[in-house]
Amino acid sequence: MKRRSFLKGTLATGAAAVAVNAGLLTPSTVLADWNKAAFAAKKTDDALNSVYGSASATASGDVKLKAPAIAENGAVTPVTVDASGMSGVESISIMASKNPMPLVCTYDFASSAIGYVSTRIKMGETMNVIAVVKAGGKLFKAEQEVKVTIGGCGG
Amino acid sequence: MSIKIRMRGKSKGGVAEVKALIKHPMESGARMNKKTGKPYPAKFIDTVKVLVNGTEAVNAQWSGAVSANPYMAVQLKANAGDEVKIVLTDNTGEAGEETLKLK
Repeated sequence: MKRRSFLKGTLATGAAAVAVNAGLLTPSTVLADWNKAAFAAKKTDDALNSVYGSASATASGDVKLKAPAIAENGAVTPVTVDASGMSGVESISIMASKNPMPLVCTYDFASSAIGYVSTRIKMGETMNVIAVVKAGGKLFKAEQEVKVTIGGCGG
Repeated sequence: MSIKIRMRGKSKGGVAEVKALIKHPMESGARMNKKTGKPYPAKFIDTVKVLVNGTEAVNAQWSGAVSANPYMAVQLKANAGDEVKIVLTDNTGEAGEETLKLK
């Protein structure tokens, strides 16, 4: 099983699946360990398929993506995704469309968390930041272009 | 050596915003060492968990594209006095954790 390879060395994460709402389990959330296929994907659609099993996300105004229009230093681009206006947010992923591996991070939420994430990401060049939110079994997204004056990869 | 985490959190009306600053190089494995022509070996945090009173609330997976010395903020349904814990590991197996009692 594919699962086996993900289990090595991370015994502590075994409890993860327990906390996930049992009715909403998907293969990717059961695999609480690092999703190698998704992070190695070279295209945003492939990454989405690996994480959520689908790449069709609907643009939604309820997904509030906050990122700078111009990032002076691509290595530290602050990004905030606020989906607190939506109910039943299960997961948020952040992608940088032109990075060699677009998927930056994925956050899975239990019912005790609110659909909100703020972090800082690396961006190699001017590109779109895409926030994908899974709520009520459906995918929603928001996109914003960030102009990068100094690249953050390979520097 | 464990990974150092600094965290802060405050609960307001049942919603707590927890912020964390983590000390970590977040080396993606793609950056080249110009002297040797070989890439710096990958070393980045790949799993981050946030627990409220021992129950998992957030389970995050990161790649090497999260900035060095990562900053993270999440919002939780938690009240003052609740215990929030962050547990993380990197791809080399190094781990870190920090606990905070919400104000």
